[in-house]
Amino acid sequence: MAAVNLGSSKTAEPAVDPRETGTQLRPGLWPTINERYPGSMISKSDFVPLAKLARPLNECSVCLISSCGVHLKSDRPMDVAHPLGDFTFRRVPSYARQDELIIHQLKYPHDDADLDINVIFPIRRLQELAGEGIIGGLTKNFFSFIGYNMDPEKFETTVAEGIARAVADEEQADIALLAPA
Amino acid sequence: MGLIQRKIEARGIPTVSITVAKDVTAAIKAPRAVFVPWPMGHHFGAPFHAEIQRSVILTALNAVQIIEQSGVIVELSIPWAEVRRQSKALTEQGKKL
Repeated sequence: MAAVNLGSSKTAEPAVDPRETGTQLRPGLWPTINERYPGSMISKSDFVPLAKLARPLNECSVCLISSCGVHLKSDRPMDVAHPLGDFTFRRVPSYARQDELIIHQLKYPHDDADLDINVIFPIRRLQELAGEGIIGGLTKNFFSFIGYNMDPEKFETTVAEGIARAVADEEQADIALLAPA
Repeated sequence: MGLIQRKIEARGIPTVSITVAKDVTAAIKAPRAVFVPWPMGHHFGAPFHAEIQRSVILTALNAVQIIEQSGVIVELSIPWAEVRRQSKALTEQGKKL
């Protein structure tokens, strides 16, 4: 099938399947979620000054952080039943095999990620890039938590602060790659 | 996720996030982001499609090197239907990729 929207005016009636257009599949997600879970969505008015890369990419240690709720099967599962969410996070060894990992999270479709974890937590792809020398390496641990947290202030002082501190101080990452779920 | 990203960037470490919700990422003013027009839970594409999973990572790593202004969102505008078609073909070959 051809991408039939090419060259069409933005003011034209939406007549094409959004899956074919390359635009956001669920427009207006911020107000939609905020309506369902009042106070859960955050806006900021200021921009954070950009940090500079300390070294070339092929010398950089990369850290992956995901809200997909993945962890080692041997680790404590995420609490997916609490109405306010789970304000803890897990360290996932960057050398873990895919069959050592499991996803505990209910709030997004992870059927495909259960088939191939790299769909949402591309640990194997990052191991390959490190092995090929395209990136310098991986931090010892990656990080994961569940994105369902209904108290943004508590989230900021627990999960966000804890992961940010660990990525900087413990892992000493050169680049942080973040993937919401 | 934007909160974490901002905190890490503020500690002097360059960050980049992958988003399927450009409006949410814009609201939190994430320092750098790559938008992919795909469903939730599929930020790196589709199962067994190693090539596209890799291309998302490389696009993000490139964004770290080229974006010079905080809040910029670059786009990887491969339609979901195309990703899905390619993935189905790969899956039918036997889930070995």
